[in-house]
Amino acid sequence: MIEVDQLVKRFGAVTAVDGLTFTVRPGHVTGFLGPNGAGKTTTMRVILGLDAPTAGTTRINQQGYAELIRPLHQVGALLDATALHPGRTAEAHLTSLAQSNGISRHRVAEMLQLTGLEGVAKRRVRGFSLGMKQRLGIAAALLGDPPVLMFDEPVNGLDTEGIAWIRQFFKALAADGRTVLVSSHLMSEMAQTADRLIIIGRGRLIADTTTAQLIESSTRKDVLVRSPRAAELAGLMTARGAAVSREDDGALAVTGLDAPAIGDLAAEKGIAVHALIPRTASLEDAYLDLTGESVDFRAASPSPGPEVPEHPEGVPAR
Amino acid sequence: MTAQVPVAVRARDVLASEWTKFRSVRSTYWTLLVAVVTPIGLSALVAVTLANVPGRGAPADPLLPGVLSQEYAVLAVGVLGVLMFSAEFSTGLIRTTFTAVPRRRAVLAAKAAVLGAITLVAGELVAFVSFALVQAVLSGKHLGVSLARPGVPGAVLATGLILFVVATMGLGLGAIVRHTAGGIAALVGLIILPAILALLPAPWGARVGRFTLFDAARQVTALHPATNLFAPAWSLLVLLAWPALTLLAAALAITRRDA
Repeated sequence: MIEVDQLVKRFGAVTAVDGLTFTVRPGHVTGFLGPNGAGKTTTMRVILGLDAPTAGTTRINQQGYAELIRPLHQVGALLDATALHPGRTAEAHLTSLAQSNGISRHRVAEMLQLTGLEGVAKRRVRGFSLGMKQRLGIAAALLGDPPVLMFDEPVNGLDTEGIAWIRQFFKALAADGRTVLVSSHLMSEMAQTADRLIIIGRGRLIADTTTAQLIESSTRKDVLVRSPRAAELAGLMTARGAAVSREDDGALAVTGLDAPAIGDLAAEKGIAVHALIPRTASLEDAYLDLTGESVDFRAASPSPGPEVPEHPEGVPAR
Repeated sequence: MTAQVPVAVRARDVLASEWTKFRSVRSTYWTLLVAVVTPIGLSALVAVTLANVPGRGAPADPLLPGVLSQEYAVLAVGVLGVLMFSAEFSTGLIRTTFTAVPRRRAVLAAKAAVLGAITLVAGELVAFVSFALVQAVLSGKHLGVSLARPGVPGAVLATGLILFVVATMGLGLGAIVRHTAGGIAALVGLIILPAILALLPAPWGARVGRFTLFDAARQVTALHPATNLFAPAWSLLVLLAWPALTLLAAALAITRRDA
């Protein structure tokens, strides 16, 4: 379990995290979402004891990070997959980490095998692709078989196969009863991976919810109906209390009646229906609705530092 | 489950981890090779030159070639020391290191122990091999000294300390400055300081100079110490105070700053 309580982190005049409180529970993949610069990485770094909080506390399994003895047995984290010495081999990198926490060499070999790196274990990481470095980072995070795992933007730079692999991996870890926190700035990615969501913007909590609830509560939810007798059907549906609007191509957008009810109604009246499509807002839309304000603010007064486009290429297909 | 791990076991774990890091990158072997081969070769060369100075009876200090040549090797081990931290900071690996070992001073201590032990052994090896070579060359001209002569073993042992002193100072600078280039620049600055201070007007050159690393080093390694500097015992203290203070500052820097 990860607990963040009233966390504040300032860097000079810049407030990166502003009174953030949330709890990440075991057994789920929890998505940690927010636009770039929202404070996700800073929060993770404070949780890992790398940055000192300005105010507030963070705890892992009821303990502060500095109190943890052999922390790799408690928490596994992957913040930056490229943070490696280029001249060191994958095996030596993992071995040095394992030794620092009293973990056996046997476990190192196991993790290399699990992540499919056993063939390149003796190679210097200089020549590794980003995908291979991600796998090495995951192997490092899993070394101590920890109950809590944290990954910062783990999907960045992975190919389609790698993304599919990592999703399955997170789900398996959560199904194992572990606490899994995965950050991303892409809602579409989290929709596929996470069942719980913590959404932040400008260092503040925007939503702490489940993926299903977020979809449920999103503003647009309707049924698209196509029929050769559209006008007649529209009248019948309106009579049953539905709100019907006509789309540009002549299709009907219906709210207030669900798809089975519309289908039954049409059948009862002998009206042919060519299409009957329940539509929900994409999570991306719901996410943009939620974070819109914080993004607008940032766009109006850009802060220095690297910016990533809001919709970079390579957004995983849904 | 893991709360009962004794401190000694944890210290051994961190030491083993840093030892693995130390021996798993090539820069370690290159810098150590340079640090060992250069001074041995150079000391023999200086000895040959010294033995062939025409005329003049009493030559310079017969231990000087061994010391002078180590002063060039220090750059190599100093860079090795800087890199042990700066390479981790510049790649971001330091965050993985500090996540695995939140007690950051333990990381510093383990790195210092690994680097210190290796450079101490290398330094003494170089000092005694150089001494043997130099005296072999000088004895041809009856200018050499024997290791049995009072004061000589101590001076040769002290010569062997120089690599250790500069290497651990480099380690501390790497942790404070965090950048390889900046750390090396700071190290070079400290090393060439005596040459700059020597330009100060008369008694000030020595008054300030006796606190510098290499005036102290010359003083503890000389057969006939200079009279205008600290006595050898005090100079030894100055010599060891440099890395000690640098490491102390490094311990403060890494625990107070965000990683």
